[in-house]
Amino acid sequence: MNGAHPPVVEFEKVTKIYGGSHLAIKEVSFSVEDKAGHGEFVAILGPSGCGKSTVLRLIAGLRPQHPATTGSVRVLGQPVVGPGADRGMVFQDYTSFDHRTVEDNVAFGLECRGMGRKERLALAREWIGKVGLSVDSDAGKFPHQLSGGMRQRVAIARTLILNPRIILMDEPFGALDPSTRMHMQDLLVGLWRDLQATVFFVTHSIEEAVYLGDRIYVMSSPPGTILRELSVPPPDRPAHLMQREPSFLSVVFELRDLLEGLEASTERER
Amino acid sequence: MSPDARMESHEEVERESPAPKALPSPGRRWRLELREPPPPLVGRALGVLAVAVVVLAWGLLTMGATPETRLISPVLLPSPMEVIRAVPSLLERDLLAGVFATLERVFLGFGLAVLVGVPLGILAGAWRVFDAASAPMAIFGRNIPIAALIPMTILWFGIDETQKVMFIFIACIPFVFSDAVVALTGVHQRYVETAQTLGASDGQVVRKVLVPLAMPDIFNSLRNLFGLAFGYIMLAELINARHGLGYLLSTSQRRGLIEHIILILVLIGALAFVIDRGLLWFQRGLFPFRASEE
Repeated sequence: MNGAHPPVVEFEKVTKIYGGSHLAIKEVSFSVEDKAGHGEFVAILGPSGCGKSTVLRLIAGLRPQHPATTGSVRVLGQPVVGPGADRGMVFQDYTSFDHRTVEDNVAFGLECRGMGRKERLALAREWIGKVGLSVDSDAGKFPHQLSGGMRQRVAIARTLILNPRIILMDEPFGALDPSTRMHMQDLLVGLWRDLQATVFFVTHSIEEAVYLGDRIYVMSSPPGTILRELSVPPPDRPAHLMQREPSFLSVVFELRDLLEGLEASTERER
Repeated sequence: MSPDARMESHEEVERESPAPKALPSPGRRWRLELREPPPPLVGRALGVLAVAVVVLAWGLLTMGATPETRLISPVLLPSPMEVIRAVPSLLERDLLAGVFATLERVFLGFGLAVLVGVPLGILAGAWRVFDAASAPMAIFGRNIPIAALIPMTILWFGIDETQKVMFIFIACIPFVFSDAVVALTGVHQRYVETAQTLGASDGQVVRKVLVPLAMPDIFNSLRNLFGLAFGYIMLAELINARHGLGYLLSTSQRRGLIEHIILILVLIGALAFVIDRGLLWFQRGLFPFRASEE
Protein backbone atom coordinates (compact mmCIF):
# COMPACT_ATOMS: atom_id res chain seq x y z
CA MET A 1 0.00 0.00 0.00
CA ASN A 2 1.35 3.42 -0.91
CA GLY A 3 0.67 5.61 2.12
CA ALA A 4 -0.37 8.93 0.58
CA HIS A 5 -2.81 7.74 -2.06
CA PRO A 6 -4.24 4.32 -1.35
CA PRO A 7 -6.48 2.91 -4.12
CA VAL A 8 -10.13 3.96 -3.98
CA VAL A 9 -11.17 0.32 -3.99
CA GLU A 10 -8.87 -2.64 -3.71
CA PHE A 11 -9.87 -6.31 -3.84
CA GLU A 12 -7.21 -8.76 -2.86
CA LYS A 13 -7.97 -12.39 -3.68
CA VAL A 14 -11.54 -12.01 -2.48
CA THR A 15 -13.58 -15.20 -2.31
CA LYS A 16 -17.17 -15.52 -1.11
CA ILE A 17 -18.76 -18.84 -0.24
CA TYR A 18 -22.40 -19.09 0.88
CA GLY A 19 -23.82 -21.79 3.05
CA GLY A 20 -20.48 -23.57 3.24
CA SER A 21 -20.49 -24.74 -0.38
CA HIS A 22 -21.86 -22.28 -2.95
CA LEU A 23 -18.95 -20.38 -4.45
CA ALA A 24 -20.10 -16.94 -5.62
CA ILE A 25 -16.82 -15.28 -6.52
CA LYS A 26 -13.36 -16.75 -6.52
CA GLU A 27 -10.10 -14.90 -5.88
CA VAL A 28 -11.21 -11.60 -7.34
CA SER A 29 -8.41 -9.05 -7.35
CA PHE A 30 -8.44 -5.56 -8.74
CA SER A 31 -7.46 -2.09 -7.75
CA VAL A 32 -8.95 1.22 -8.84
CA GLU A 33 -6.51 4.05 -8.34
CA ASP A 34 -7.43 7.38 -6.86
CA LYS A 35 -6.73 9.77 -9.70
CA ALA A 36 -6.42 13.38 -8.65
CA GLY A 37 -9.37 15.52 -9.71
CA HIS A 38 -11.58 12.89 -11.25
CA GLY A 39 -12.96 9.48 -10.49
CA GLU A 40 -13.17 6.54 -12.80
CA PHE A 41 -16.26 4.96 -14.25
CA VAL A 42 -15.93 1.21 -13.89
CA ALA A 43 -18.47 -0.96 -15.65
CA ILE A 44 -18.79 -4.59 -14.58
CA LEU A 45 -20.09 -7.02 -17.21
CA GLY A 46 -20.62 -10.73 -17.06
CA PRO A 47 -23.00 -13.64 -17.61
CA SER A 48 -25.91 -13.99 -15.20
CA GLY A 49 -24.97 -15.34 -11.81
CA CYS A 50 -21.28 -14.51 -12.18
CA GLY A 51 -21.18 -12.49 -8.98
CA LYS A 52 -21.28 -8.95 -10.40
CA SER A 53 -23.64 -7.83 -7.68
CA THR A 54 -21.58 -9.66 -5.09
CA VAL A 55 -18.60 -7.44 -5.93
CA LEU A 56 -20.75 -4.33 -5.59
CA ARG A 57 -22.34 -5.39 -2.33
CA LEU A 58 -18.94 -6.26 -0.86
CA ILE A 59 -17.83 -2.68 -1.54
CA ALA A 60 -21.07 -1.40 -0.01
CA GLY A 61 -20.65 -3.65 3.03
CA LEU A 62 -24.10 -5.21 2.67
CA ARG A 63 -24.97 -8.61 4.07
CA PRO A 64 -24.99 -11.49 3.32
CA GLN A 65 -22.26 -10.86 0.72
CA HIS A 66 -20.30 -8.89 3.32
CA PRO A 67 -18.00 -9.96 4.87
CA ALA A 68 -15.89 -11.83 2.34
CA THR A 69 -15.03 -15.42 3.20
CA THR A 70 -11.33 -14.88 2.44
CA GLY A 71 -9.29 -12.02 1.07
CA SER A 72 -9.61 -8.33 1.78
CA VAL A 73 -11.87 -5.55 0.53
CA ARG A 74 -10.40 -2.08 1.13
CA VAL A 75 -11.84 1.32 0.43
CA LEU A 76 -9.26 4.14 0.53
CA GLY A 77 -6.95 1.80 2.39
CA GLN A 78 -9.44 0.94 5.10
CA PRO A 79 -11.15 -2.46 5.34
CA VAL A 80 -14.91 -2.28 4.74
CA VAL A 81 -16.80 -2.91 7.98
CA GLY A 82 -20.38 -2.07 6.96
CA PRO A 83 -22.54 0.22 4.83
CA GLY A 84 -22.08 3.97 4.93
CA ALA A 85 -22.98 7.18 3.13
CA ASP A 86 -19.50 7.44 1.58
CA ARG A 87 -20.52 4.54 -0.68
CA GLY A 88 -23.93 5.42 -2.10
CA MET A 89 -25.86 2.69 -3.86
CA VAL A 90 -28.57 2.83 -6.53
CA PHE A 91 -30.60 -0.32 -7.05
CA GLN A 92 -32.84 -1.45 -9.88
CA ASP A 93 -36.08 -1.94 -7.95
CA TYR A 94 -37.79 -0.86 -4.72
CA THR A 95 -35.73 2.30 -5.02
CA SER A 96 -38.04 4.95 -3.57
CA PHE A 97 -39.31 5.21 -0.02
CA ASP A 98 -43.01 4.97 -0.86
CA HIS A 99 -44.14 6.94 2.18
CA ARG A 100 -42.02 9.97 1.38
CA THR A 101 -42.57 12.63 -1.22
CA VAL A 102 -39.93 13.17 -3.89
CA GLU A 103 -38.22 15.96 -1.95
CA ASP A 104 -38.26 13.99 1.30
CA ASN A 105 -36.81 11.00 -0.56
CA VAL A 106 -33.99 13.11 -1.97
CA ALA A 107 -33.33 14.72 1.43
CA PHE A 108 -33.30 11.39 3.30
CA GLY A 109 -29.53 11.12 3.77
CA LEU A 110 -29.23 14.76 4.86
CA GLU A 111 -32.05 14.18 7.34
CA CYS A 112 -30.13 11.23 8.79
CA ARG A 113 -27.11 13.49 9.20
CA GLY A 114 -29.25 15.85 11.25
CA MET A 115 -29.42 18.75 8.79
CA GLY A 116 -32.32 21.14 9.44
CA ARG A 117 -35.50 20.80 7.42
CA LYS A 118 -35.31 24.11 5.60
CA GLU A 119 -31.69 23.68 4.59
CA ARG A 120 -32.04 20.10 3.41
CA LEU A 121 -35.20 20.75 1.41
CA ALA A 122 -33.52 23.65 -0.39
CA LEU A 123 -30.66 21.33 -1.35
CA ALA A 124 -33.10 18.59 -2.33
CA ARG A 125 -34.98 20.93 -4.68
CA GLU A 126 -31.70 21.91 -6.30
CA TRP A 127 -30.97 18.24 -6.98
CA ILE A 128 -34.48 17.51 -8.17
CA GLY A 129 -33.83 20.09 -10.89
CA LYS A 130 -30.40 18.66 -11.67
CA VAL A 131 -31.78 15.21 -12.42
CA GLY A 132 -34.34 16.62 -14.81
CA LEU A 133 -37.46 16.55 -12.63
CA SER A 134 -39.72 19.54 -12.16
CA VAL A 135 -39.25 21.28 -8.80
CA ASP A 136 -42.73 22.77 -8.94
CA SER A 137 -44.80 19.80 -10.02
CA ASP A 138 -42.75 16.74 -8.95
CA ALA A 139 -41.22 17.69 -5.58
CA GLY A 140 -44.43 17.02 -3.65
CA LYS A 141 -45.41 13.82 -5.44
CA PHE A 142 -45.30 10.37 -3.93
CA PRO A 143 -43.30 7.65 -5.75
CA HIS A 144 -46.41 5.76 -6.88
CA GLN A 145 -47.29 8.81 -8.99
CA LEU A 146 -44.00 8.56 -10.90
CA SER A 147 -42.90 6.42 -13.85
CA GLY A 148 -40.00 3.98 -13.54
CA GLY A 149 -37.58 6.43 -15.16
CA MET A 150 -38.61 9.25 -12.85
CA ARG A 151 -38.18 7.03 -9.80
CA GLN A 152 -34.62 6.25 -10.92
CA ARG A 153 -33.96 9.99 -11.23
CA VAL A 154 -35.10 10.38 -7.61
CA ALA A 155 -32.81 7.54 -6.53
CA ILE A 156 -29.84 9.09 -8.32
CA ALA A 157 -30.50 12.54 -6.82
CA ARG A 158 -30.88 11.01 -3.35
CA THR A 159 -27.48 9.32 -3.64
CA LEU A 160 -25.53 12.13 -5.32
CA ILE A 161 -26.79 14.84 -2.94
CA LEU A 162 -24.57 13.29 -0.27
CA ASN A 163 -21.51 13.72 -2.49
CA PRO A 164 -20.29 10.14 -1.95
CA ARG A 165 -16.74 9.17 -2.77
CA ILE A 166 -17.95 6.00 -4.44
CA ILE A 167 -21.23 5.42 -6.26
CA LEU A 168 -22.40 1.83 -6.67
CA MET A 169 -25.05 1.14 -9.27
CA ASP A 170 -26.61 -2.31 -9.56
CA GLU A 171 -28.31 -2.45 -12.97
CA PRO A 172 -30.10 0.81 -12.22
CA PHE A 173 -31.59 1.14 -15.70
CA GLY A 174 -32.31 -2.57 -16.23
CA ALA A 175 -36.08 -2.19 -15.97
CA LEU A 176 -36.39 0.86 -18.25
CA ASP A 177 -37.36 0.90 -21.90
CA PRO A 178 -34.51 1.52 -24.39
CA SER A 179 -35.15 5.20 -25.09
CA THR A 180 -35.64 6.14 -21.41
CA ARG A 181 -32.49 4.16 -20.74
CA MET A 182 -30.42 6.26 -23.14
CA HIS A 183 -31.79 9.46 -21.59
CA MET A 184 -30.75 8.20 -18.17
CA GLN A 185 -27.27 7.28 -19.45
CA ASP A 186 -26.77 10.81 -20.76
CA LEU A 187 -28.08 12.25 -17.50
CA LEU A 188 -25.64 10.13 -15.52
CA VAL A 189 -22.69 11.14 -17.71
CA GLY A 190 -23.60 14.81 -17.28
CA LEU A 191 -23.92 14.60 -13.50
CA TRP A 192 -20.91 12.40 -12.93
CA ARG A 193 -18.48 14.81 -14.65
CA ASP A 194 -19.02 17.36 -11.87
CA LEU A 195 -18.74 14.89 -9.04
CA GLN A 196 -15.27 13.39 -9.04
CA ALA A 197 -16.69 10.19 -7.65
CA THR A 198 -15.65 6.70 -8.65
CA VAL A 199 -18.60 4.83 -10.11
CA PHE A 200 -19.04 1.07 -10.15
CA PHE A 201 -21.79 0.18 -12.57
CA VAL A 202 -23.08 -3.38 -12.92
CA THR A 203 -25.01 -4.06 -16.11
CA HIS A 204 -26.23 -6.76 -18.44
CA SER A 205 -26.10 -4.40 -21.38
CA ILE A 206 -22.82 -4.44 -23.32
CA GLU A 207 -23.70 -1.15 -25.05
CA GLU A 208 -24.31 0.51 -21.69
CA ALA A 209 -21.00 -0.72 -20.32
CA VAL A 210 -19.01 0.36 -23.36
CA TYR A 211 -20.75 3.72 -23.51
CA LEU A 212 -20.53 4.69 -19.85
CA GLY A 213 -17.31 3.01 -18.80
CA ASP A 214 -13.77 4.28 -18.73
CA ARG A 215 -12.85 0.79 -17.82
CA ILE A 216 -14.72 -2.50 -18.16
CA TYR A 217 -14.28 -5.57 -16.03
CA VAL A 218 -15.56 -8.73 -17.68
CA MET A 219 -16.36 -11.41 -15.16
CA SER A 220 -16.27 -15.13 -15.98
CA SER A 221 -19.05 -17.65 -15.61
CA PRO A 222 -19.68 -18.80 -12.02
CA PRO A 223 -17.78 -18.94 -9.80
CA GLY A 224 -17.04 -15.39 -10.83
CA THR A 225 -13.60 -14.02 -11.30
CA ILE A 226 -12.33 -11.11 -13.34
CA LEU A 227 -11.45 -12.49 -16.75
CA ARG A 228 -10.61 -9.38 -18.67
CA GLU A 229 -10.09 -5.74 -18.12
CA LEU A 230 -10.21 -3.17 -20.90
CA SER A 231 -10.18 0.58 -21.25
CA VAL A 232 -12.68 2.26 -23.54
CA PRO A 233 -13.07 5.87 -24.68
CA PRO A 234 -15.14 8.06 -22.37
CA PRO A 235 -18.67 9.06 -23.40
CA ASP A 236 -18.11 12.44 -25.02
CA ARG A 237 -21.18 12.40 -27.27
CA PRO A 238 -24.86 11.69 -26.57
CA ALA A 239 -25.71 7.99 -26.28
CA HIS A 240 -27.83 7.74 -29.42
CA LEU A 241 -24.99 9.16 -31.55
CA MET A 242 -22.02 7.40 -30.03
CA GLN A 243 -23.73 4.03 -29.80
CA ARG A 244 -24.02 3.70 -33.59
CA GLU A 245 -20.43 4.52 -34.51
CA PRO A 246 -18.38 1.68 -36.08
CA SER A 247 -15.54 1.90 -33.53
CA PHE A 248 -18.08 1.72 -30.70
CA LEU A 249 -19.86 -1.22 -32.30
CA SER A 250 -16.68 -3.18 -32.91
CA VAL A 251 -15.90 -3.11 -29.17
CA VAL A 252 -19.48 -4.17 -28.43
CA PHE A 253 -19.29 -7.11 -30.87
CA GLU A 254 -15.94 -8.22 -29.51
CA LEU A 255 -17.35 -8.27 -25.99
CA ARG A 256 -20.52 -9.99 -27.14
CA ASP A 257 -18.51 -12.86 -28.64
CA LEU A 258 -16.53 -13.17 -25.44
CA LEU A 259 -19.65 -13.23 -23.26
CA GLU A 260 -21.51 -15.67 -25.49
CA GLY A 261 -18.54 -17.99 -25.22
CA LEU A 262 -18.73 -17.71 -21.44
CA GLU A 263 -22.49 -18.37 -21.33
CA ALA A 264 -22.01 -21.44 -23.55
CA SER A 265 -19.28 -22.87 -21.34
CA THR A 266 -21.52 -22.34 -18.28
CA GLU A 267 -24.31 -24.27 -19.99
CA ARG A 268 -21.94 -27.16 -20.74
CA GLU A 269 -20.79 -27.35 -17.13
CA ARG A 270 -24.40 -27.63 -16.00
CA MET B 1 -58.21 13.09 -8.12
CA SER B 2 -56.76 9.67 -8.76
CA PRO B 3 -53.01 9.12 -9.16
CA ASP B 4 -53.58 7.93 -12.72
CA ALA B 5 -55.22 11.19 -13.68
CA ARG B 6 -52.29 13.16 -12.32
CA MET B 7 -49.76 11.00 -14.12
CA GLU B 8 -51.29 11.37 -17.52
CA SER B 9 -50.09 14.91 -17.86
CA HIS B 10 -46.49 13.73 -17.70
CA GLU B 11 -44.34 12.59 -20.60
CA GLU B 12 -43.34 9.28 -19.07
CA VAL B 13 -46.64 7.61 -18.38
CA GLU B 14 -46.11 4.14 -17.05
CA ARG B 15 -47.26 1.75 -19.69
CA GLU B 16 -48.56 -1.00 -17.45
CA SER B 17 -50.87 1.38 -15.57
CA PRO B 18 -54.35 -0.03 -16.02
CA ALA B 19 -56.74 1.95 -18.16
CA PRO B 20 -59.61 3.41 -16.15
CA LYS B 21 -62.45 0.93 -16.13
CA ALA B 22 -65.16 2.53 -18.20
CA LEU B 23 -68.78 1.56 -17.87
CA PRO B 24 -69.83 -0.57 -20.82
CA SER B 25 -70.88 1.54 -23.74
CA PRO B 26 -74.62 1.42 -24.59
CA GLY B 27 -73.92 -0.71 -27.63
CA ARG B 28 -71.97 -3.37 -25.70
CA ARG B 29 -73.97 -4.96 -22.91
CA TRP B 30 -72.33 -6.66 -20.00
CA ARG B 31 -72.29 -10.43 -20.34
CA LEU B 32 -71.70 -13.30 -17.99
CA GLU B 33 -67.96 -13.81 -18.41
CA LEU B 34 -65.55 -15.85 -16.35
CA ARG B 35 -64.05 -13.68 -13.54
CA GLU B 36 -65.46 -10.50 -15.03
CA PRO B 37 -67.00 -8.29 -12.31
CA PRO B 38 -70.36 -6.71 -13.13
CA PRO B 39 -70.53 -2.90 -13.42
CA PRO B 40 -70.57 -1.30 -9.92
CA LEU B 41 -74.24 -0.26 -10.01
CA VAL B 42 -75.37 -3.67 -11.24
CA GLY B 43 -73.25 -5.26 -8.53
CA ARG B 44 -74.91 -3.21 -5.78
CA ALA B 45 -78.36 -3.86 -7.22
CA LEU B 46 -77.65 -7.61 -7.21
CA GLY B 47 -76.68 -7.43 -3.53
CA VAL B 48 -79.88 -5.59 -2.61
CA LEU B 49 -81.93 -8.00 -4.72
CA ALA B 50 -80.44 -11.02 -2.95
CA VAL B 51 -81.35 -9.54 0.46
CA ALA B 52 -84.85 -8.82 -0.82
CA VAL B 53 -85.20 -12.43 -1.95
CA VAL B 54 -84.19 -13.71 1.50
CA VAL B 55 -86.63 -11.33 3.24
CA LEU B 56 -89.38 -12.34 0.82
CA ALA B 57 -88.73 -16.02 1.48
CA TRP B 58 -88.73 -15.26 5.19
CA GLY B 59 -92.10 -13.48 4.80
CA LEU B 60 -93.62 -16.36 2.83
CA LEU B 61 -92.44 -18.97 5.33
CA THR B 62 -93.93 -17.01 8.23
CA MET B 63 -97.22 -16.00 6.56
CA GLY B 64 -100.51 -16.92 8.16
CA ALA B 65 -103.18 -15.49 10.46
CA THR B 66 -102.64 -18.04 13.21
CA PRO B 67 -99.51 -19.91 14.31
CA GLU B 68 -101.07 -23.20 13.11
CA THR B 69 -101.36 -22.03 9.48
CA ARG B 70 -97.70 -20.94 9.25
CA LEU B 71 -95.04 -23.12 7.64
CA ILE B 72 -92.62 -22.23 10.46
CA SER B 73 -93.81 -21.72 14.01
CA PRO B 74 -93.48 -18.11 15.32
CA VAL B 75 -91.59 -19.51 18.31
CA LEU B 76 -88.78 -20.47 15.91
CA LEU B 77 -89.09 -17.64 13.41
CA PRO B 78 -91.37 -14.62 13.73
CA SER B 79 -92.48 -12.73 10.63
CA PRO B 80 -90.52 -9.67 9.42
CA MET B 81 -93.31 -7.35 10.58
CA GLU B 82 -93.35 -8.89 14.05
CA VAL B 83 -89.60 -8.29 14.29
CA ILE B 84 -89.99 -4.63 13.29
CA ARG B 85 -92.83 -4.17 15.76
CA ALA B 86 -90.51 -5.44 18.52
CA VAL B 87 -88.07 -2.49 18.08
CA PRO B 88 -89.68 -0.26 20.76
CA SER B 89 -89.69 -3.05 23.34
CA LEU B 90 -86.03 -3.75 22.65
CA LEU B 91 -85.16 -0.05 23.06
CA GLU B 92 -86.94 -0.18 26.43
CA ARG B 93 -84.47 -2.85 27.52
CA ASP B 94 -81.68 -0.24 27.54
CA LEU B 95 -80.39 -1.19 24.12
CA LEU B 96 -78.28 1.95 23.73
CA ALA B 97 -76.58 1.46 27.10
CA GLY B 98 -75.88 -2.11 26.01
CA VAL B 99 -74.32 -0.99 22.74
CA PHE B 100 -72.07 1.48 24.55
CA ALA B 101 -71.08 -1.03 27.20
CA THR B 102 -70.04 -3.51 24.52
CA LEU B 103 -68.16 -0.94 22.45
CA GLU B 104 -66.37 0.39 25.51
CA ARG B 105 -65.11 -3.08 26.45
CA VAL B 106 -63.91 -3.79 22.92
CA PHE B 107 -62.21 -0.43 22.51
CA LEU B 108 -60.49 -0.67 25.90
CA GLY B 109 -59.36 -4.28 25.52
CA PHE B 110 -58.35 -3.97 21.89
CA GLY B 111 -56.76 -0.55 22.39
CA LEU B 112 -54.63 -2.00 25.16
CA ALA B 113 -53.63 -4.92 22.91
CA VAL B 114 -52.59 -2.42 20.21
CA LEU B 115 -50.64 -0.23 22.63
CA VAL B 116 -48.66 -3.20 23.91
CA GLY B 117 -48.66 -5.54 20.90
CA VAL B 118 -47.67 -3.18 18.10
CA PRO B 119 -44.50 -1.77 19.75
CA LEU B 120 -43.44 -5.29 20.78
CA GLY B 121 -44.13 -6.50 17.23
CA ILE B 122 -42.06 -3.67 15.78
CA LEU B 123 -39.22 -4.56 18.13
CA ALA B 124 -39.39 -8.24 17.15
CA GLY B 125 -39.74 -7.45 13.45
CA ALA B 126 -36.71 -5.18 13.49
CA TRP B 127 -34.46 -7.28 15.72
CA ARG B 128 -35.23 -10.87 14.90
CA VAL B 129 -33.72 -12.27 18.10
CA PHE B 130 -36.84 -10.99 19.90
CA ASP B 131 -38.97 -12.65 17.25
CA ALA B 132 -37.18 -15.96 17.78
CA ALA B 133 -37.58 -15.63 21.54
CA SER B 134 -41.29 -14.78 21.39
CA ALA B 135 -42.29 -17.19 18.62
CA PRO B 136 -43.29 -20.17 20.85
CA MET B 137 -45.43 -17.95 23.10
CA ALA B 138 -47.05 -16.21 20.16
CA ILE B 139 -47.91 -19.53 18.51
CA PHE B 140 -49.39 -20.78 21.78
CA GLY B 141 -51.40 -17.58 22.21
CA ARG B 142 -52.80 -17.69 18.70
CA ASN B 143 -53.82 -21.31 18.90
CA ILE B 144 -55.43 -21.51 22.32
CA PRO B 145 -59.23 -21.70 21.88
CA ILE B 146 -60.52 -18.30 22.94
CA ALA B 147 -63.40 -19.59 25.07
CA ALA B 148 -60.88 -21.57 27.12
CA LEU B 149 -59.50 -18.30 28.46
CA ILE B 150 -62.76 -17.33 30.15
CA PRO B 151 -62.44 -19.44 33.32
CA MET B 152 -58.92 -18.24 33.95
CA THR B 153 -59.73 -14.58 33.37
CA ILE B 154 -62.66 -14.91 35.80
CA LEU B 155 -60.35 -16.33 38.46
CA TRP B 156 -57.79 -13.62 37.85
CA PHE B 157 -59.94 -10.57 37.27
CA GLY B 158 -63.33 -11.39 38.80
CA ILE B 159 -66.57 -11.08 36.91
CA ASP B 160 -66.67 -7.32 36.43
CA GLU B 161 -65.55 -5.01 33.67
CA THR B 162 -61.86 -5.74 34.25
CA GLN B 163 -62.40 -9.36 33.29
CA LYS B 164 -64.16 -8.43 30.02
CA VAL B 165 -61.45 -5.96 29.04
CA MET B 166 -58.59 -8.25 30.01
CA PHE B 167 -60.22 -11.15 28.18
CA ILE B 168 -60.24 -9.12 24.96
CA PHE B 169 -56.68 -7.95 25.64
CA ILE B 170 -55.31 -11.45 26.23
CA ALA B 171 -57.27 -12.92 23.31
CA CYS B 172 -56.11 -10.25 20.84
CA ILE B 173 -52.52 -9.48 21.75
CA PRO B 174 -50.92 -12.59 20.17
CA PHE B 175 -52.59 -11.73 16.85
CA VAL B 176 -51.76 -8.03 17.03
CA PHE B 177 -48.15 -8.84 17.88
CA SER B 178 -47.72 -11.47 15.16
CA ASP B 179 -49.30 -9.29 12.47
CA ALA B 180 -47.01 -6.41 13.37
CA VAL B 181 -44.01 -8.74 13.10
CA VAL B 182 -45.20 -9.98 9.71
CA ALA B 183 -45.75 -6.41 8.49
CA LEU B 184 -42.25 -5.38 9.57
CA THR B 185 -40.52 -8.39 8.08
CA GLY B 186 -42.58 -7.93 4.90
CA VAL B 187 -40.85 -4.64 4.12
CA HIS B 188 -38.40 -5.38 1.32
CA GLN B 189 -34.78 -5.55 2.42
CA ARG B 190 -33.85 -3.22 -0.44
CA TYR B 191 -35.37 -0.28 1.46
CA VAL B 192 -33.19 -1.06 4.45
CA GLU B 193 -30.08 -1.39 2.29
CA THR B 194 -30.87 1.86 0.48
CA ALA B 195 -31.24 3.67 3.81
CA GLN B 196 -28.00 2.17 5.13
CA THR B 197 -26.01 3.26 2.09
CA LEU B 198 -27.44 6.75 2.64
CA GLY B 199 -25.95 6.75 6.10
CA ALA B 200 -28.94 5.81 8.26
CA SER B 201 -28.21 4.25 11.65
CA ASP B 202 -30.12 1.17 12.85
CA GLY B 203 -32.48 3.35 14.88
CA GLN B 204 -33.07 5.64 11.92
CA VAL B 205 -33.78 2.68 9.64
CA VAL B 206 -36.43 1.45 12.08
CA ARG B 207 -38.01 4.90 12.69
CA LYS B 208 -37.77 6.40 9.22
CA VAL B 209 -38.10 3.34 6.97
CA LEU B 210 -39.35 0.10 8.54
CA VAL B 211 -42.14 1.46 10.73
CA PRO B 212 -43.65 3.93 8.24
CA LEU B 213 -43.52 1.38 5.42
CA ALA B 214 -45.07 -1.34 7.61
CA MET B 215 -47.79 0.96 9.03
CA PRO B 216 -50.35 0.48 6.24
CA ASP B 217 -50.12 -3.30 6.63
CA ILE B 218 -50.28 -3.04 10.41
CA PHE B 219 -53.33 -0.80 10.23
CA ASN B 220 -54.99 -3.09 7.73
CA SER B 221 -54.52 -6.12 9.94
CA LEU B 222 -55.73 -4.17 12.99
CA ARG B 223 -58.92 -3.39 11.09
CA ASN B 224 -59.48 -7.10 10.50
CA LEU B 225 -58.52 -8.01 14.06
CA PHE B 226 -60.97 -5.47 15.44
CA GLY B 227 -63.72 -7.54 13.84
CA LEU B 228 -62.32 -10.53 15.70
CA ALA B 229 -62.34 -8.64 19.01
CA PHE B 230 -65.93 -7.64 18.39
CA GLY B 231 -66.76 -11.33 18.04
CA TYR B 232 -64.90 -12.28 21.22
CA ILE B 233 -66.72 -9.76 23.38
CA MET B 234 -70.05 -11.46 22.63
CA LEU B 235 -68.57 -14.63 24.04
CA ALA B 236 -67.48 -12.90 27.25
CA GLU B 237 -70.84 -11.18 27.61
CA LEU B 238 -72.83 -14.37 27.07
CA ILE B 239 -71.24 -15.98 30.08
CA ASN B 240 -71.27 -13.34 32.76
CA ALA B 241 -72.44 -9.79 32.31
CA ARG B 242 -74.89 -7.21 33.62
CA HIS B 243 -75.28 -5.35 30.35
CA GLY B 244 -73.99 -5.31 26.79
CA LEU B 245 -75.21 -6.79 23.53
CA GLY B 246 -74.11 -10.32 24.43
CA TYR B 247 -75.99 -10.03 27.73
CA LEU B 248 -79.11 -8.85 25.88
CA LEU B 249 -78.78 -11.82 23.51
CA SER B 250 -78.56 -14.38 26.29
CA THR B 251 -81.46 -12.90 28.30
CA SER B 252 -83.57 -12.73 25.11
CA GLN B 253 -82.91 -16.40 24.60
CA ARG B 254 -83.93 -17.26 28.15
CA ARG B 255 -87.13 -15.22 27.83
CA GLY B 256 -87.94 -16.58 24.36
CA LEU B 257 -87.72 -13.13 22.70
CA ILE B 258 -86.65 -14.34 19.28
CA GLU B 259 -87.62 -11.00 17.69
CA HIS B 260 -85.03 -9.30 19.89
CA ILE B 261 -82.36 -11.84 19.00
CA ILE B 262 -82.90 -11.20 15.30
CA LEU B 263 -82.81 -7.44 15.81
CA ILE B 264 -79.60 -7.58 17.85
CA LEU B 265 -77.90 -9.78 15.24
CA VAL B 266 -78.78 -7.28 12.51
CA LEU B 267 -77.56 -4.46 14.73
CA ILE B 268 -74.22 -6.22 15.39
CA GLY B 269 -73.70 -6.67 11.65
CA ALA B 270 -74.52 -3.02 10.99
CA LEU B 271 -72.21 -1.80 13.79
CA ALA B 272 -69.31 -3.92 12.56
CA PHE B 273 -69.82 -2.59 9.03
CA VAL B 274 -69.98 1.06 10.11
CA ILE B 275 -66.84 0.72 12.26
CA ASP B 276 -64.95 -1.02 9.46
CA ARG B 277 -65.87 1.68 6.91
CA GLY B 278 -64.91 4.37 9.41
CA LEU B 279 -61.50 2.81 9.98
CA LEU B 280 -61.02 2.37 6.23
CA TRP B 281 -61.81 6.03 5.62
CA PHE B 282 -59.35 6.99 8.35
CA GLN B 283 -56.74 4.66 6.87
CA ARG B 284 -57.00 6.22 3.41
CA GLY B 285 -56.38 9.67 4.85
CA LEU B 286 -53.52 8.38 6.98
CA PHE B 287 -51.58 6.68 4.19
CA PRO B 288 -52.03 8.77 1.04
CA PHE B 289 -49.08 7.03 -0.56
CA ARG B 290 -50.75 3.68 -0.73
CA ALA B 291 -54.09 2.53 -2.00
CA SER B 292 -55.69 0.57 0.83
CA GLU B 293 -57.16 -2.83 0.30
CA GLU B 294 -60.84 -3.24 0.93
